[in-house]
Amino acid sequence: MSSKETCRNELRTAIRQLSDRCLYSASKWAAEQLVGIEQDPAKYTPSNTRFQRGSSSIRRRFRTNEITSTPVAGVSYVSTPVMEEDEVVNGDFYLLAKSYFDCREYRRAAHVLRDQNGKKSIFLRCYALYLAGEKRKEEEMIELESPLGKSDAVNRELVSLERELSTLRKNGTIDPFCLYLYGLVLKDKGSENLARTVLVESLNSYPWNWNAWSELQSLCTTIDILNSLNLNNHWMKDFFLACAYQELRMHSESLTKYEYIQSTFSFSNYIQAQIAKAQYSLREFEQVEVIFEELLRNDPYRVEEMDMYSNVLYAKECFSALSYLAHRVFMTDKYRPESCCIIGNYYSLKGQHEKSVVYFRRALKLNKNYLSAWTLMGHEYVEMKNTPAAVDAYRRAVDINPCDYRAWYGLGQAYEMMHMPFYALHYFRKSVFLQPNDSRLWIAMAQCYETEQLHMLEEAIKCYRRAANCNDREAIALNQLAKLHHELGRDEEAAFYYKKDLERMEAEEREGPNMVEALMFLATHCRAHNRFEEAEVYCTRLLDYTGPEKETAKIMLRGMRMDQSSFPPMDVEHFPP
Amino acid sequence: MGGVVKGGGAFAITPHKVSVCILIHMYAPPALMSVPFPFSSVSQHNRFALFLLALTKSCDDILEPKLDDLINQMREIGDLLYQWLTDQLISRLSSLSSPDDLFNLFSEMRGILTGPDPGAVEDDQVSLDPNSNLGMFLRRCLLSFNLLCFEGVCHLLTNIGLYCKEALSSCPAYELPCLDDSSNDMEALSEYENMDLENIVFEKVTEEIEARKKASEKVSFHLHAPNALFGLVEDIEVSAVQKAKQGDKYKEACPYVHPPNDAFREVDAKAGAFLRTNWQMQGYLMEQSDAIEKYGSSFSLNAFEIILRQLQKLAPELHRVHFLRYLNSLYHDDYFAALENLHRYFDYSAGTEGFDFAQSSMGCNIFGRYEIALLCLGMMHFHFGHPKQALEVLTEAVCLSQQRSNDTCLAYTLAAICNLLSEIGISTATGILGSSYSPISSIGTSLSVQQQLFVLLKESSRRAESLKLKRLVAANHLAMAKFDLTHVQRPLLSFGPKNSMNLKTCPTNVCKELRLGYHLISEFSSESSPMSIDGAFSTAWLKNLQKPMGSLVLSQENVSTGSNAFQFCVQPSSIPGPVLQLLGSSYLLRATAWETYGSAPLTRINTLIYATCFSDGSSLSDSALAHMKLIQHLAVFKGYKEAFLALKIAEEKFLSVSKSRILLLKLQLLHECALHRGHLKLAQQVCDELGVMASSVTGVDMELKTEASLRHARTLLAANQFSQAAAVAQSLFCMCYKFNLQVETASVLLLLAEIHKKSGNAVLGLPYALASLSFCQSFNLDLLKASATLTLAELWLSLGSDHAKRASILIQRALPMILGHGGLELCARAFIAQAKCFLSDPNISVSQNPEVVLDPLRQASEELEVLEYHELAGEAFYLMAIVFDKLGRLAEREEAAASFKKHMLALENPRDEEDPILSTR
Repeated sequence: MSSKETCRNELRTAIRQLSDRCLYSASKWAAEQLVGIEQDPAKYTPSNTRFQRGSSSIRRRFRTNEITSTPVAGVSYVSTPVMEEDEVVNGDFYLLAKSYFDCREYRRAAHVLRDQNGKKSIFLRCYALYLAGEKRKEEEMIELESPLGKSDAVNRELVSLERELSTLRKNGTIDPFCLYLYGLVLKDKGSENLARTVLVESLNSYPWNWNAWSELQSLCTTIDILNSLNLNNHWMKDFFLACAYQELRMHSESLTKYEYIQSTFSFSNYIQAQIAKAQYSLREFEQVEVIFEELLRNDPYRVEEMDMYSNVLYAKECFSALSYLAHRVFMTDKYRPESCCIIGNYYSLKGQHEKSVVYFRRALKLNKNYLSAWTLMGHEYVEMKNTPAAVDAYRRAVDINPCDYRAWYGLGQAYEMMHMPFYALHYFRKSVFLQPNDSRLWIAMAQCYETEQLHMLEEAIKCYRRAANCNDREAIALNQLAKLHHELGRDEEAAFYYKKDLERMEAEEREGPNMVEALMFLATHCRAHNRFEEAEVYCTRLLDYTGPEKETAKIMLRGMRMDQSSFPPMDVEHFPP
Repeated sequence: MGGVVKGGGAFAITPHKVSVCILIHMYAPPALMSVPFPFSSVSQHNRFALFLLALTKSCDDILEPKLDDLINQMREIGDLLYQWLTDQLISRLSSLSSPDDLFNLFSEMRGILTGPDPGAVEDDQVSLDPNSNLGMFLRRCLLSFNLLCFEGVCHLLTNIGLYCKEALSSCPAYELPCLDDSSNDMEALSEYENMDLENIVFEKVTEEIEARKKASEKVSFHLHAPNALFGLVEDIEVSAVQKAKQGDKYKEACPYVHPPNDAFREVDAKAGAFLRTNWQMQGYLMEQSDAIEKYGSSFSLNAFEIILRQLQKLAPELHRVHFLRYLNSLYHDDYFAALENLHRYFDYSAGTEGFDFAQSSMGCNIFGRYEIALLCLGMMHFHFGHPKQALEVLTEAVCLSQQRSNDTCLAYTLAAICNLLSEIGISTATGILGSSYSPISSIGTSLSVQQQLFVLLKESSRRAESLKLKRLVAANHLAMAKFDLTHVQRPLLSFGPKNSMNLKTCPTNVCKELRLGYHLISEFSSESSPMSIDGAFSTAWLKNLQKPMGSLVLSQENVSTGSNAFQFCVQPSSIPGPVLQLLGSSYLLRATAWETYGSAPLTRINTLIYATCFSDGSSLSDSALAHMKLIQHLAVFKGYKEAFLALKIAEEKFLSVSKSRILLLKLQLLHECALHRGHLKLAQQVCDELGVMASSVTGVDMELKTEASLRHARTLLAANQFSQAAAVAQSLFCMCYKFNLQVETASVLLLLAEIHKKSGNAVLGLPYALASLSFCQSFNLDLLKASATLTLAELWLSLGSDHAKRASILIQRALPMILGHGGLELCARAFIAQAKCFLSDPNISVSQNPEVVLDPLRQASEELEVLEYHELAGEAFYLMAIVFDKLGRLAEREEAAASFKKHMLALENPRDEEDPILSTR
């Protein structure tokens, strides 16, 4: 990683340039990273560390393998010269236009800049036009809504923008910001290859524009595309890669990358949230919770990614914490899809599914493509036993993002509920394909095969075996494997799995009917194979439990002892001295 | 949103509807005249009304026509009238410059509707009944205009501006009140759209072509590959390069499916594109789905896919689109796309949208109708040749429909299972229906598959009958007849002394069964949905307008002149398509029945009836089957030259695609021809290709598989590799026995007899021939029986001259059947055998009456020369030469000997160059 001071200086300049061009979210992101850089101890001043207090505690708890801040061998970063500002010829007009822009009067802003030829002015004019078109598009989408669904309104500025920007690019008089905008236009238009090229061009000459990175990320739908990008090795690329890995479901790679970046930007809330996201995908809920607690302490009015936190709280059934979170985001910004989603989660936890659906619907009204809301709404409908609605909701999630394994899983469950196991298998197969390391999915699929209707036990066994191999927390798979093998008359295999299950239960100190079942089977099995000593051990252990098994064990023990005691005399009879 | 099933009623006011309203206003202006101004006669006036009616109903497209198209259509009404009407229309439209103008226009429209009390209207005034079709249309327009919010009115105004501008850009006479804001970027917008989609399409097309090329390179030996490739590429090009390359072939294949350039026209016009009413769109989709089914894989995949994609964009909640996409990919053998789209459709619609029998009695209930999804999935697996999955899914469908007490679906599912069981070979009854839930298990698994099938068929038709599903009943009768054709039907419980064996394989019985399905025709109206018929009629009417004889619209008298053929195929008959299809297939089935029975003329007649009367409404594969039968008939009775000529025509008609019947036919003919001529290598190659066409899954494509190995055995036999031929035939016999292919068993037995005959073990051959004979007898396979008798005679004959008498009697017995119905080869064989009998019979002296022998031999040689069957022809000439030698007619002897030599030489060195088919390849 480049030296902290370089990063800091680059970011400072970038923030100024970005906000000068009204690219506010990019400048917000840059500013967040700027204060996220760890201060050199030499220049320690109390005021500087205000944002950074306390952040080290998580690191202390979860950094097992401390990553040193020395750069990885072989990686050298290019230093991109900070762009020179072009001469402001008609600065006054620009100022006026920017003020209009800030007041969201985009067309006026564009009009003011109509005759300006500075690069900055051209960008702002085009950007304003683009946003005006977007705004109109949103409005039209509502105006033209028909019973057959939203009509697809288009941004009517795209054509003229594209024409202008492509001419600029041909003449070679385009600056990185206009290139970014050009990429945006191309992406909207659907010509993704060109959009990628243009965005890469823009980023290679101006890497600090996070907006451009995220557009590029959304265009990288496969790992091959990602690898084929010809990007300069700037430190911003690490952020990009980490983010892209995450979207491509390469969670551990993403996590490593983020941890590496964190060595420089150790106080960045953004990185913390992203790490939490990765951990969440790896189902490390404990860690996610800790990170979010920390995050909320530092940044109490944060709404982004809080829906994930609420999911964690939901999974852990923390009623009060979830309600507290819901209250807090509600007060901060009620009309954010995340807020609605959190409230929906809360109601769902309380078992008030109708209300929860209302809030999920609101979230979807605010953002039609809000993936997790569709999936969660599907869950709610399943709870309400309204399977067609659930299927519909899940299907919408899947159509938005075909890689959402939860929604595929939900679809499978819904169909299984309707007694259509064979039909459901299609969906389970999809979800398992996307998330092959999740034991729950394998178990669901196995149960599908196991149903009375299908009764395809061999396939079920295969699925359970996969589940057992990928860290099955609920320990269903081993027990089921043993049972199925037993059912199919393969006692050796059954004994093997019962033993394994027993070992596991012992290790985790769990008791329960499974334990009794395993002991019972093993005892009879060993006895049938004349391994009396083992059988005796199991029987003795059974004696610790109450119920009919205890009696059976007693009888078995007695029987075995009788057999054993009667053997020696028989020996004597057969082999007289 | 989730789970909310939106109703129809997507009736939004659009520029096109405004123009139709204006036209209606012209049709019925509020003036006191019986025939309003521009119209010269009542009939002209009425024609105009018909035109308007058709405009509101036609369903040939998803998008409303643009002003250009509308004007073009109106041009057909007549020159003078057209001028006036278009002038009026355009001036009315272009005078709309502010929202207020629109309000005024619509309040004027209201004026032409009759008031509530009809008594107040004078007799000769033209007024619009508010409850008439046009009146309803007008009222709906008024209503939807009144419901518009101000933004909506503004949009309408802008759109009318665009609508006019596009049309008038070509005729500068009309100046428009320009809306400066939108007008300058509009053309740019359309350009933008244009560019975009063109790219996509061409990319796709080139990709596809490349993929095909790659695929074809790998299987270069494939006989048909170049042709199919050519067909495909052309198909694509037609859709891509618009009108320029509209080949005749394409037109012929799809006469009225969307013209290939549709996609383009619609796509670049998206700026001003409006969907038609929901009703019209559904009609369009219905028609398209029929067309997909009918034309199968020659239906252009990409062009229709583009339309569907566009439709999905414009109306994301119209889930039926997914179903159409499913159908489209199904018929183009794209398994994954089909599976994906099927699941998507049912996830969204819960099976409650679009199935006409779903809405019938119970309406849509809260649980959805996922059992239909299972039914469709099962049929899809069946289509792709996955019988196991299909059976599994259909069993699930049976359970679910029983649970939901959806009897209709249950009946259909049972029918589907019957279809599956009858098409797919299953060797043992146990294990096919794995689960205890299976519908059949209650009967007990001790029954054979055939018996299960029989029970199911009965059950299914009983249900269909009780639910009054006419089409299903008819289809069940068809299936029953099919079952009768191929299976000996024994009483289910065969206790006691042998019950009278109830054999129904006789064609008269099949016909009887078929006739049971016919009452369908008279009752179809109760079941068919009125929407499609009505809409289709309007569409056809409007299309007629655009055809060259435009004058037809206004002059009623010359309907009949010169347009007969055209009218015949375009004018929709009053019988709905599916019914026609069923009727057609009943004729095909009759043909098959007669074919197995062995009556060539009746087969031919039935096939001809089908080809002439039903081929318009039938699916492409069915009419290909009919052609196949006719060409086979030609080959057997007229020789290969004619058959190959006919095949060429058929190939042009049916773009040959990988699995089509035409390809199969071609291979069959090639094989026969090669066998006869002695091109054994070619024969083997063709035979292998035939085998490759069958799916590798056990139990699927049984017919193809049996045929391939039958032909394999025959090739080996021709190559004198008797033991191998016998081995192949043996294993084939085992397979036939295992899968209960009883009809095929007979011919395999006959083949075994032939093998033994040719290898010189006549004694061994006899039992096979006798067995085959008894099989034929029990199945009413009369022609096959005759040929088995002939073989038997030949076997006796080869045992020595003592048996000549017996052989002669056998031949005499079979001769009437053979001469009446047998093909050239069979006749020739019979003649030769007869001649041999005479020759070896010591009681008959050839020298006294040489013509007894010579005449059959001559006939045989003529027939065999037509067939170019060198081996047998050689034999005939050899015999002739011997006879002539004995008679001392030396010149004739030399002649016969020369012919014999010629044939033997041809047999030994097969020459390729004069081969008609080889040169076409």
